[in-house]
Amino acid sequence: MTVNVFSVPVFFVVFRETLETAVIVSVLLAFLKQTLDGPSRDPVVYKKLFKQVWYGTGFGLLICLVIGGGLIGAFYGIGKDKWSGTEYYWEGAFSIFASLVISIIGWALLRVSKMQDKWRVKLAKALEEKPVTTDGRKGAFKRWCEKYAMFMLPFITVLREGLEAVIFIAGVSFSSPASAVPCPVVVGLIAGFAVGYLLYKGGASSKLQLFLVVSTCLLYLVAAGLFSKAIWYFQQQEWNKVVGGDAAEVGAGAGSYDIDRSVWHVNYGNPELNGGGGWGIFNAIFGWQNSATYGSVISYNVYWIAVITGFVVMRYKEVHGRFPFAKKKSEAAAPLDRAGSESSLEQGHKVGKTSATVEAVSSKEIRE
Amino acid sequence: MAMSLSYFSILPALLLAFSLIAEAATVTYDFNATWVRANPDGLFERPVIGINGKWPLPVMEANVGDQVIVNFQNQLGNQTTTLHFHGLFQNGTSYMDGPGQVTQCQVPDGGSIVYNFTTYERKAQQSGMYWYHSHHQGQYPDGIRAPFIIRDPEFPYKDKYDEEIILSVSDWYHEEMTTLIPKFLYKGNPTGAEPVPQSALMNDTQNLTVAVQPGKTYLFRMVNIGAFAGQYIWFEGHNMTIIEVDGVFTEAAEASMIYISAAQRCSFLLTTKNETTSNYAFVASMDTSLFDVMPDGLQWNSTSHLVYNKDLPLPEAQLVDELKEFDDFTLVPFDREALYPEPDQTISLDVIMDNLGDGKPYAFFNNITYVSPKVPTLYTAMTTGADASNPLVYGEYSHPFVLEKDQIVEVVVNNLDTGKHPFHLHGHNFQAIVRSDEEAGAFDATNATQTQYPSIPMRRDTIVLRPNGNTVLRFKANNPGVWLFHCHIEWHMDQGLIATFVEQPLEMQKSLIIPDDHKAICESQKIPTAGNAAGNTVNFLDLQGQNKAPDPLPAGFTPRGIAALAFSVLAAILGCAVITWYGLADMGAASQREEERRLAGMDGSEGATRKDSGSEASDTKVHSLD
Repeated sequence: MTVNVFSVPVFFVVFRETLETAVIVSVLLAFLKQTLDGPSRDPVVYKKLFKQVWYGTGFGLLICLVIGGGLIGAFYGIGKDKWSGTEYYWEGAFSIFASLVISIIGWALLRVSKMQDKWRVKLAKALEEKPVTTDGRKGAFKRWCEKYAMFMLPFITVLREGLEAVIFIAGVSFSSPASAVPCPVVVGLIAGFAVGYLLYKGGASSKLQLFLVVSTCLLYLVAAGLFSKAIWYFQQQEWNKVVGGDAAEVGAGAGSYDIDRSVWHVNYGNPELNGGGGWGIFNAIFGWQNSATYGSVISYNVYWIAVITGFVVMRYKEVHGRFPFAKKKSEAAAPLDRAGSESSLEQGHKVGKTSATVEAVSSKEIRE
Repeated sequence: MAMSLSYFSILPALLLAFSLIAEAATVTYDFNATWVRANPDGLFERPVIGINGKWPLPVMEANVGDQVIVNFQNQLGNQTTTLHFHGLFQNGTSYMDGPGQVTQCQVPDGGSIVYNFTTYERKAQQSGMYWYHSHHQGQYPDGIRAPFIIRDPEFPYKDKYDEEIILSVSDWYHEEMTTLIPKFLYKGNPTGAEPVPQSALMNDTQNLTVAVQPGKTYLFRMVNIGAFAGQYIWFEGHNMTIIEVDGVFTEAAEASMIYISAAQRCSFLLTTKNETTSNYAFVASMDTSLFDVMPDGLQWNSTSHLVYNKDLPLPEAQLVDELKEFDDFTLVPFDREALYPEPDQTISLDVIMDNLGDGKPYAFFNNITYVSPKVPTLYTAMTTGADASNPLVYGEYSHPFVLEKDQIVEVVVNNLDTGKHPFHLHGHNFQAIVRSDEEAGAFDATNATQTQYPSIPMRRDTIVLRPNGNTVLRFKANNPGVWLFHCHIEWHMDQGLIATFVEQPLEMQKSLIIPDDHKAICESQKIPTAGNAAGNTVNFLDLQGQNKAPDPLPAGFTPRGIAALAFSVLAAILGCAVITWYGLADMGAASQREEERRLAGMDGSEGATRKDSGSEASDTKVHSLD
């Protein structure tokens, strides 16, 4: 008998998680390269943001290794898999958060592509220079998030994907020889990186707008999948509770899902089982489920409807300077009024500042 | 009695009849089922179904050939019930057999029924160890089960023992079946994990002491009246000499450990030691291989003692190296009845555990899980005329097989499940001609090594089918009536692991007369007593409206799933199209103006307005950048 040195499930899990992370990271890096390393370059800001992305990635990896190590330690120490009891709640929470962040960033990236090059540089520079202190805790937090978005996105992604991978690999190494683990981990990482690098290369060298359109589509596909998966995770956790264990352990057939919530169920292509193989990749990119629930299908469609509506509304506003169905006003008065109607809280805050400029207010609505 | 005799060949029948009439007595029991409270394991007091306000239930006793009358009243107040006299052939009285919706309607709350039958069979007098229990809605583990002994003056071992000891073993649950069954037959229990009992009982108690005298031989009559767990039984320092299983006397066989599944009986002789220097433990150990989980603190052994000297201590039971039981397949019936000839009808049943479309776990013979018909099957047989010979009238889900008079019937049972199943046939003993080891797979009649049948096969009424193994049984269809063949693990009954043998239906129509009180309880509950399984009294072959099992789980994409998937794909494509449209469009006029204005303002306010309005402005910047 040959020594088992390559656990296929481990490979697929590592590859899948690396791929999902690599998509995010490479899109961000390609974007930075395109906007800040182009003709009207600003090497300082570029470098700074470039580093942010990698810091986010590295920091996320570190934290997930620490938490993962702790969990594995706890497993051996307490003899009980604390994580798996609530695993899907975590996965679901991470997924929904990641989905929202990706959605916002995706739109912002796409919008930037429409700006003229010199504007972008200016904006990026302003972002870098501006302080994160000043008014209001809420505002500061928001600004902090915005300033460090290039950090946060990869951080969250790596944390989520990494934890998933660590837990899975830990689980496998409990049941199969440890010798089967390192090789597929390395190969999986390399394969994921390779795809990410290709994406980056392709993105960084193609026409910016085209690249952004394609990559935004990709990001939104991932985000839609994440959103749907989040709901699925929550429901599956409930089902696991009902069944009194990990339903995935009973395989992909009867009993692995709640029949009353099922929209479709096929006994193949379970992305959670043994790493999921190609279906796991399919799940990572498009949110595939072999066992779709009403929740997962409806949330997927609702997500897209929201995205479509959002973009149509944004486009309308870009063209007409107001939201659909909003009263048409004189141009000068309109922005103030709109901002007011959108958020009385923000407005109160603004009115208090007598020196608030029209620019400031109108900037507000761009955000909306 | 006269009816039963009509099946006998004249001469022996007459002889037998005379001998019986000479000795036969009538034994009458007035049984009133009520809830009482009991705490047999000392851990938990619970409501149990008692008889005449008492629990444990009375042990029924009769002599062979006696007429037994049970005036049975249901005063439970919240449940219907029945009584089944396990192992008795009910020859000529199939309607006294007891399964609800099979040979009778369940006795309603406040209702009553008379069970009236004799304890002899067509060929030989029936005697030995039996038991009685409710045969309705998985009810008997709530306590309504007890031994039933039929003594025989002609007992071949009657001179071989000094005293008789009746011993029941049972698993015990703290919750009632009405609580446990919905938890078990539940979509959240997809693997069909059976509830694990909380305790093991002996004679419905624990730490039993059996006073014995040295140098004597005792006849132990043991029965497993449990719902689920088979039990290994051994006596420290003593051997057992098996002489009867399931009411069939056997040639004496020595055993150091026996296994009694739910519903099986085993009588054995045990000779005590000649000294009284020590007391001895004997143990009934539940077969934990049946349990999907082992709850913390489960005490699966029940230990009792043979007490030679009550002043001496009761020793702890010692650990045994392995649980290796006596193989009951090797037993030889005392009457040495030869192997039946090649069968006239072969019934092949595959045991399958699976889920149906409601997600719940079910048990199947072949592809059918049992569902009670609207009309008790016996009543269908009695009222459907010539069509009664057509299995169709009994409904697909009662899984009927019609057997002709004096046919040799072979039942091949293949276990496609990984659990043990004690299969029980009503109305007959069967010859067990094959019983494979675990993992032997399906029986193959063309494989000569599998068809080396014993010339004098072991007979009993309940046999353990091993995990992924097979067994082949033969019996002669000489007992008109409706007889169930089912797994005697009560959970599996609830899951539908039942088939119905309808034996000589036309003969039944001629010779059976359903007692009026049996019909009355049907009428009081508006249960039809005529027609096919669907209650159709006009067209017996029209089963429209029959009780059915849920549909199977969809095998793959249903139209609903395809539509959902198509919508999702469409949504994604549309979404990407909108993103592309948005991304490729120029910045809108209004937006462009604002952006220019903002950038201009940013330049101007960079130093001066940072302090107050800068925060707002930078807000913007950040945003646009992201």
